[in-house]
Amino acid sequence: MNDLDVELGAIAAGDPEAFGRWVAGAEHELRWSLASFAEAVDTEAVVQEALLRIWQVADRVEPDGRPNSLLRFSIRTARNLAIDHVRRSRRAGVTVDIDSAPEPELTGSAEALDPLLREAIEDCRDGLPRKPKSALAERLEGHGARHDRDLAGRLGMTLNTFLKNIGRARTLLTECLRKRGIDLGAYLGAR
Amino acid sequence: MKPNQQIESVAAAHRERTARGEILAHPVWSDLDGKGRREAFERAIVSRRIEAALHPDGLSTTALAVLRRIGRGQ
Repeated sequence: MNDLDVELGAIAAGDPEAFGRWVAGAEHELRWSLASFAEAVDTEAVVQEALLRIWQVADRVEPDGRPNSLLRFSIRTARNLAIDHVRRSRRAGVTVDIDSAPEPELTGSAEALDPLLREAIEDCRDGLPRKPKSALAERLEGHGARHDRDLAGRLGMTLNTFLKNIGRARTLLTECLRKRGIDLGAYLGAR
Repeated sequence: MKPNQQIESVAAAHRERTARGEILAHPVWSDLDGKGRREAFERAIVSRRIEAALHPDGLSTTALAVLRRIGRGQ
């Protein structure tokens, strides 16, 4: 994968646009790094918390001479946050020692989005039935800042209907790609 | 809410925050069993990647939520 540390200096200087470019490249790897915690913590909340902390401390992160030092730091941060959540909730079964936890290695298994794949995803999105298409569009326009209940209301749907249509949109879109001979596995970095 | 809708709800990026800014776990997450939580994680993986592909700057709804929090308007 590309070295996202090219953005480190600008992020440390407080440039939110640079942080946006870094997040666009880092989020997927960061999320995957929490796969082993998926049953113990709400990983979406941990991913967001970790990203916000990275923004706050980026000016104190020293590159270690290897690529993607900020991403590796963010993965350690996310793992430690996840462990904290597990300890606070006293859920059994996770016994990772923060101090001795091995530094996670980047797999870089997920391929970057190439223009042809982007075009295929857009085409498949455009071909969705009306309701799943509008539900997906509403989710995107909500920017993760609005509850699904509000998004559903804007479309005149109940929450359950909205969620059903979100699921349909994802299923139909991935089926559309498969019919075109596109396996999302490489883009998803399936493990 | 049916289990499948609960999972779909948890797979979304939106999370409530406390007055101090702490990001809360989704209220339905704790109602899911281990299999449901794993499924929500996997749906989130796919959903965020599709969202990123459909955004001009490659930003998922998770990324957009975080950037909004730090003051980068979208």
